[in-house]
Amino acid sequence: MPSGAAAKRVMLLAGLVMVALLIAGFVVGAIGSQMFGTTRFLAQPAIHLPPQPIFPFSAVKTSLGYGSDYEAKKEEAKETADAEHPPAAESGDHGEGGEEEHHFTPLGVSQFAITNTLLSAWVASLVIILFFVLGARKKAMVPGRFQSLVESIFEGVLSFGSSVLGRDMARRTFPVVATIFFFVLFNAWIALFLVPLYQAVGFGSGGLWDFELKAHLIRPAGTDVNMPLALALVSFVFVEYWGIRTLGLGYFKKFFAFGNLLRGRPSGLIDIFVGILELISELVRIVSFTFRLFGNMTAGEILVVMITFLVPFVANIFVFGLELLVGLIQAVIFAGLTLVFLSLAVHHEEH
Amino acid sequence: MVELGINLPLLIAYLVTFVILMAILYQFAYKPLMGAMDQRTERIQEGLSAAERAREEAASSQAAIEEQLNEARREGQRLLDQAREASQRFRESEMERARQEAEAFAERARADIQRERDAALEDLRASFGDLAITAAERVIRRSLDRQAHEELITQVLEEGESLRRG
Repeated sequence: MPSGAAAKRVMLLAGLVMVALLIAGFVVGAIGSQMFGTTRFLAQPAIHLPPQPIFPFSAVKTSLGYGSDYEAKKEEAKETADAEHPPAAESGDHGEGGEEEHHFTPLGVSQFAITNTLLSAWVASLVIILFFVLGARKKAMVPGRFQSLVESIFEGVLSFGSSVLGRDMARRTFPVVATIFFFVLFNAWIALFLVPLYQAVGFGSGGLWDFELKAHLIRPAGTDVNMPLALALVSFVFVEYWGIRTLGLGYFKKFFAFGNLLRGRPSGLIDIFVGILELISELVRIVSFTFRLFGNMTAGEILVVMITFLVPFVANIFVFGLELLVGLIQAVIFAGLTLVFLSLAVHHEEH
Repeated sequence: MVELGINLPLLIAYLVTFVILMAILYQFAYKPLMGAMDQRTERIQEGLSAAERAREEAASSQAAIEEQLNEARREGQRLLDQAREASQRFRESEMERARQEAEAFAERARADIQRERDAALEDLRASFGDLAITAAERVIRRSLDRQAHEELITQVLEEGESLRRG
């Protein structure tokens, strides 16, 4: 079996290359450079919670601190860095080095600019649209492979919804729930599939060789708190809408439970208290939705960046695998919790 | 808020993105594909129920054929029985008729014979009277006494009587 042997040889070669890259990465990474005194391959990454604007350029300049005095500042920073080279290298592990280099002004609350997260959300949306519209284009009675794939994805989401809400409700709520699912999923994965773009392209300073990335062009939208917040609001409004649509004004009875008190029963006080709790928990869902997704995505991004910083090249493959899983889980959780809250809102009167 | 990155225009931008994405997906992916999937499900359901119906039909037509066969068999048996019975009846009636005819014939023959005999006897008696008278004449001519005469006549009469009776 020559082909088998050849395949084995290729595998072995790839494995050797991987091990070599791992060792090289360790040597030139943050840990290795401390141990062996080698030059660091990557600059220490800066973590910003707010997204960076990428358009218009004036906003980019403002946020990154470019300006008329930027060059001078940079020179000054370089001098200080040169002068304090040994202590800077020592304190690199503690995350203090280059603090002045990464000063970054986030957007104001009402200031608009297209950010890298918004751009990647658009890219993700475009990919979703391409994927599903192409999959649904032919509507063949006997589906091809691609249509089968898309259909089985739909069927999966639909049966997931059916298990919580029942077939009929699942069908009617499918567009919103499925879109939430796909939006979260593709936004989590888009950065992983666009790794070179994500890791290397963006705004920064320096030439081709001493380029210092300050703002990625693409950054997963889940790491921008506005995107989870928007989805949480969609989910919240959707759930309340279905609650009111199904139960009418009676839906609000669980929040403002004055019924027993007005009938003169003292236990009505407890009902009122429970109603207040219900109201709070209803509103807290927005916060929990937001920060669950935001936290997971941000943590994933930080993990990828830090592992890449510590051991460049191939060590982060494992993190990528983990992040694929996390993205899927978050999508399932976001869509699943929306379904669960829907079923709570719709069936509240029955128990 | 700013440190976290909360930004109102961005929030709205995400909401708009989401809604547009949902609208496009609904129009070009969810609706057509779900329609196609439903149609397929319906088609398959139809096919299954049609197959089921065909199977049932085949079974019921099999039963109907069986029933018809049985019916035909019973009918044939009945006809056969009827024919056998009719022929039996016919034979009996024919035999009866033949016997009656034969009997009637015999009766008639007997009556004929009786009549013939009576006629013959009548003839005989008539001729016997003549014969007796002739005999008597002959006797008389031969000169006989009264007593012999009497005896002779009686004898002749008795003979005639016994003849009639016999």
